[in-house]
Amino acid sequence: MKKQAKPRVAFFDFTDCEGCQLQFANIGTTLLDLTELVDIVNFREIMSEAGEDYDVAFIEGSITTDNDVKRIKKIREKAKVLIALGACAAIGGVNGIKNRSSLDLAKQRVYGDKADIINTIKAMPVHEVVKVDYVINGCPVYVPEVLAVLKSILMGKPYVVPNYPVCVECKMNENVCRYEKDQECMGPVTRAGCNSWCVNNGNRCYGCRGLLDKPASDAAKDILTKYGLKVEDILNSFTLYNDSMGEKYDQEFR
Amino acid sequence: MKYATLNKKDLNKWLEHLKKSAKLYAPRKKENLFVFRPVKDVGDVVLEYVPTILPPKKYYFPQKEKLLKFKIEPFQTAKAIEGFEDFILFGVHTCDIAGIQCMDVVFRDGPEDPNYLNRKDKMIIIGIECLRYCDKYANCASMGNHVPRGGYDLMMVDLGEKFIIHINSEKGEKLVSKLDYIKEAAEADMNALERCREAKKKVFKEEFIGPLGKVYGVFDKSFGSDVWKDVGKKCVACGNCTAVCPTCYCFDTQDDLELSLNDGIRYRIWNSCQMDDFAKVAGGEDFRKGRDTRQRHRYYRKFKYPVDKFNRYFCTGCGRCTRTCMAGINLVETVNSLLSQETL
Repeated sequence: MKKQAKPRVAFFDFTDCEGCQLQFANIGTTLLDLTELVDIVNFREIMSEAGEDYDVAFIEGSITTDNDVKRIKKIREKAKVLIALGACAAIGGVNGIKNRSSLDLAKQRVYGDKADIINTIKAMPVHEVVKVDYVINGCPVYVPEVLAVLKSILMGKPYVVPNYPVCVECKMNENVCRYEKDQECMGPVTRAGCNSWCVNNGNRCYGCRGLLDKPASDAAKDILTKYGLKVEDILNSFTLYNDSMGEKYDQEFR
Repeated sequence: MKYATLNKKDLNKWLEHLKKSAKLYAPRKKENLFVFRPVKDVGDVVLEYVPTILPPKKYYFPQKEKLLKFKIEPFQTAKAIEGFEDFILFGVHTCDIAGIQCMDVVFRDGPEDPNYLNRKDKMIIIGIECLRYCDKYANCASMGNHVPRGGYDLMMVDLGEKFIIHINSEKGEKLVSKLDYIKEAAEADMNALERCREAKKKVFKEEFIGPLGKVYGVFDKSFGSDVWKDVGKKCVACGNCTAVCPTCYCFDTQDDLELSLNDGIRYRIWNSCQMDDFAKVAGGEDFRKGRDTRQRHRYYRKFKYPVDKFNRYFCTGCGRCTRTCMAGINLVETVNSLLSQETL
């Protein structure tokens, strides 16, 4: 590969827990290898300097205030490549639960008598406000996928997010199916790419990577019902991370 | 020596011997199910087991297999794996041996697949014959795979106090010869084997409502059957049925670069006709959009197309697809629905 000027990379967080940036910070010595390829100019999880000149912007968190909207638009103007990092940025994530009730009620619940002085809007994934070039799903992101996306960015190639369910990877890992253990699992309708990380470690899938393009929601509902879940629970499972699609499932399930 | 016997008390001693001879894989427990794993402690090996989550195909057609190493600048390619090691698959059911025979037909069909053959040449199969059903999902009797039909090096049959071992290859013979605890089978042992086979006839009954000979003809006429709509409605397209199938061999290839962005490895990874994008081609056309058409395709790949191409059914009767399906799609029920429609 020809040596070119290293792309400058910056990380920005919006409404989130910063857990995805932490995943990135935890990649260990690989981080040193990465500095051969990129200059990290802004990443408050690991450094105190904060450069404002960058080519590649990793965006963590969902957009939930008017100020967020202004700020993300500014970042988009500067960045040549913009990446949604993690469930909140990619699909709204758990922040989307806020959209289930009216904004007034949500404010009341969280801020009580201070509700009136808080500026907040509905929770949105980044792509609802500005163009997103690459998406890294997950809550938190899965480090091998972060590296795969980063390599795609450096090569200027698209990264294809799998459009098949987590079960595919889970079965290749020869896990005992969660349904075999009478646990409900979102694997059959959730986008793969995490190498069934949670199930490998004894947990079940909560659907943090978002739903497939065409989830078989009717068949999935049959399965969940067979395993004793009520419509309300099924809906909650489907919308824990996916509220931007919640209305669609409201209609399908009621 | 054609048949040998091994006392059960000497089984672990023999397993230790096998472990020294080659890399040894055998079934063991995983939670409430079973998996093939490399044997560390011979005490973990189980011989009474419900078919493993994945069939032993993962050892001769791995989930993610290195095909070659490459460099971009200067461009060059190289073998990904230099040497393959001898390995023994121990305790393989006859249904899974039938699966290996199917794969062999596919991968030896021209152009031969060197990636498979490299592994297959190093493989030694020691089977165990089932004397009763593993569970209610198997359809091995209809497929004729509840009894050994070749394709193995050694086949063990449980005669109570001891195993009788059929020696079916030179490789197999080496593993039982020159051991003082493995003896040539006596006439009484052969008679016991005979009685055992007779008793099996009362235990195993054909699971399909019609003879296997009829199944092909029924599939020939059932492409437009409503049965596929019912199956499609239940299906979530998770791909479990194809992953666990001993005769599903579809794959995708993928290049992975190291962080240097210059060195990489080409892999092949299991793929499945149940995936939404599997039959999508350039221009966006999709030949099997619906889950009903994709399920139908899977069944036709077991009961129709391979019969046309290789003159054998590609269902082994192991029951894994039914066992693993959380939506309850049942192979025996599906085939029987087609057979009963036929007789109407």
